[in-house]
Amino acid sequence: MGEFKVHRVRFFDYMPSAIRAMAFNRQSERLAVARADGAVEIFNFSDNYFQEKVIPGQDSRAVEALCWVDQRLFSGGLNGEITEYDLENLKPRYTVAAYGGPIWTISSNNQGTMLALGCEDGTVKMFEVLAEKVQFQRNFDRQKGRIISLSWHPSGTLIAAGMMDMIRVFDAETGHATHRLLVERGVGASKSREVVVWSVAFLSDHTIISGDSAGKVQIWDGVTGTLLRTHLVTKWDVLALSVSQDQSSLVAGTSEGTVIQFQLISSTVGQQDKEWVRTRTFKNHSHDVRALAHTETAVVSGGMDTQLVVRPLLDKVEKNTQESSLRKIVFPHRSLVCCAKKAGLLLFQFPEHLELWRLGESEGHGKPGDSLTVKTKPEKLIQLKRKGEDHICCSALSPCGGWMAYSTVSSVRLYRLQYNNNNIGITKVSRLPKDLCSVHQLCFSSDSSKLFASSSHSSVIVVALNQQECTYLHTLKPKSSSRQPVHLLFASEDGKWLATANTDCEIHIYNLDKLKLHCTVPVYSSYPTAIAIHPLTSNLVVVHADQQIFEYSLEKKEYTEWSRKLQKLGLHSLWLERDTPVTHITFNSRNPAHIILHDMFMFCIIDQSLPLPEAKTLLYNQMTLRSVPEPERIRHSHAFKICKNFQVWSSH
Amino acid sequence: MAKAKRGNATSSSKMADNSDKQAEKFSLMLDSSDDEAPEEVTFEDSKTQALRSMKQALDTARREKELLKEKRRKRQELFQEQKKRKLLPADVLEEIDPTEGALNNNTDLFDLSPSCFSLKGNYTVATLEERSMASFQQQAAEDFIQSRLYGPGSCRTTSNELLSLQNKKGWNKSAAVQFVKKDWGKFSRINHGY
Repeated sequence: MGEFKVHRVRFFDYMPSAIRAMAFNRQSERLAVARADGAVEIFNFSDNYFQEKVIPGQDSRAVEALCWVDQRLFSGGLNGEITEYDLENLKPRYTVAAYGGPIWTISSNNQGTMLALGCEDGTVKMFEVLAEKVQFQRNFDRQKGRIISLSWHPSGTLIAAGMMDMIRVFDAETGHATHRLLVERGVGASKSREVVVWSVAFLSDHTIISGDSAGKVQIWDGVTGTLLRTHLVTKWDVLALSVSQDQSSLVAGTSEGTVIQFQLISSTVGQQDKEWVRTRTFKNHSHDVRALAHTETAVVSGGMDTQLVVRPLLDKVEKNTQESSLRKIVFPHRSLVCCAKKAGLLLFQFPEHLELWRLGESEGHGKPGDSLTVKTKPEKLIQLKRKGEDHICCSALSPCGGWMAYSTVSSVRLYRLQYNNNNIGITKVSRLPKDLCSVHQLCFSSDSSKLFASSSHSSVIVVALNQQECTYLHTLKPKSSSRQPVHLLFASEDGKWLATANTDCEIHIYNLDKLKLHCTVPVYSSYPTAIAIHPLTSNLVVVHADQQIFEYSLEKKEYTEWSRKLQKLGLHSLWLERDTPVTHITFNSRNPAHIILHDMFMFCIIDQSLPLPEAKTLLYNQMTLRSVPEPERIRHSHAFKICKNFQVWSSH
Repeated sequence: MAKAKRGNATSSSKMADNSDKQAEKFSLMLDSSDDEAPEEVTFEDSKTQALRSMKQALDTARREKELLKEKRRKRQELFQEQKKRKLLPADVLEEIDPTEGALNNNTDLFDLSPSCFSLKGNYTVATLEERSMASFQQQAAEDFIQSRLYGPGSCRTTSNELLSLQNKKGWNKSAAVQFVKKDWGKFSRINHGY
């Protein structure tokens, strides 16, 4: 009989949402991505592309464009509103109606003082960016068609606007249109349809570059208003353009899923005159590319196939290194599945509803690697639709399976589950404590008597659960003045400790018996992606976004011997090169030396009693160990036992 | 062949002889029906004819306009009548007319505030969810994107079709692909709640 029975769950129908827009902030190296369901995600490019924040979507907020102004994030949508996001509390800070119909594009000038909006009614609206809000300043001359795209000239004095069949150049001070650049329609059947200028870019030498629905990338002289060059890159639409910071490279995304790079180079070496020449074509998407960002060293693209692709440019990075590899971010970097161990139940979190399933059962025994026959099929017990327009932010299921909770940006809902024979009953707990309003993480205690909810300023609210109701107990506050949200919560099995981690990389441990802060783990510069407390040794295990693993003793308030040994030796290079973060850590009740963890593509058991792998040893050695006879295995085994057979969403 | 109109009366007599001769000359080449000299039309005649035709045209235009007006008036009357017929009979209208302050002693009244009035029979009042201007515009904008990217002329196909064609054209020809639909099976005991 093998060591573990694996329940292979294939009924989690997770469907990601298409990427609609993105904006890269060069100072903080963060990428904001807007999805079709209204969700906004922030990726930290300097910390292994970790998805550090997710602001859940909303039914009516159809985000069309994103824009950074310093560290503030704004979006414009088809609902005609500008939204500023509160990145510390992970929700919209406020919305301002633009009164111009649906907003197609939003862009700020280099100075960060003005926001320009392109609206459906043909106006370019100027909003002043003030300390606490944005305020309408004025409209430019109203045009006859909708304004689909905008680009500021780096000096802030001119704006190029892409419309239907033409591009208009406006003087930003007077608001009058100075030039009209007519864009040719497509050939053949497309001649009868208007050509949409999906994207424009205004360079400092007054060159305007446009991408349109006829598949052309055109280079215009913005001073004289004449067409310089046309590049027909696709038979379908060119949907997005992005220019690098030094304006020597440009990328265009098409409906075919290709990203085409143009570079400003002189045709013959040594000559002064440079022109835009098509250089590379990347085909990393299966569907339309609707959003692009050109960073210093890479091209980031996203579109209808929901994957975020980071393609480093080989002339900017060293070849054949970790830095130069293609990265595809496909799945969310947090856990969407909750498991009630004792009850054998699974809770799946979708943006608009929750599903509660009972695991199937099997019988019989088998050798490792066998598939056992399923005696009882897995069963969907409850499908709970969220109330209101906001999407679900986080959810939790108590270990006994008797309580279920979820939160949105506006409210928290708690439900009591009752099982009698073959029926399941669900009742909503009304009148929750007032403090439970905007919560980012939920966690039940192991005895299901308490619910922990993370709130603003990295604090945690503790509520007690009795039979049918819940009462407020305490708010746990860290000593630091961090305003960042808590993204990880873990309650130890003995009910004594609560560990929290926030996006300032701080990890705090609270003593639940005394209801106060116990200690703070020394801050490590990378984000913690998973935390857990060992049930017997009370050691805290933390895995970070850069794949580092630490073990900290809560009793002694210092790193453990094993952790120091691991740090001294260093982790194996193949382990560090993994590109998805570890999202879950758990332990083996039968063997206290085991730490079980997984990321999206692999499942690993670390055996602390075995020696650590050296830099030169084979990391993924499970297959080779199997082929070696038993007595030999001890010699070759090392602590990291990795299995890559399944895509892993959760493990308990 | 364009008809030649002789405008000058004085030259016409001179031309008459010539034309006769010419006509004789051409008679051998032309058809027999054309051996007569072309008719002579004086200037006055043609002027009066032109004026007459203009007047006729104006008259017909005016007549047509009047006919159209008549038609429209008749149609409007018809609509009014239909509308009248559609409304409830006058006595029912009178009864539920709020300005009259109807307080019929025989009927049951639920609420006696001045803005309320009684409704006879099985009527309920329900407010419709009014979709605001913004959501109509939002829907129109979404339709615009949908039609540009997926509408006619976008040359798109479904992945089902693509894979089916690949199957049929490939080396090992096989049947068309059909994706399994999740709801073909049955789920037992699903509770939907809020």
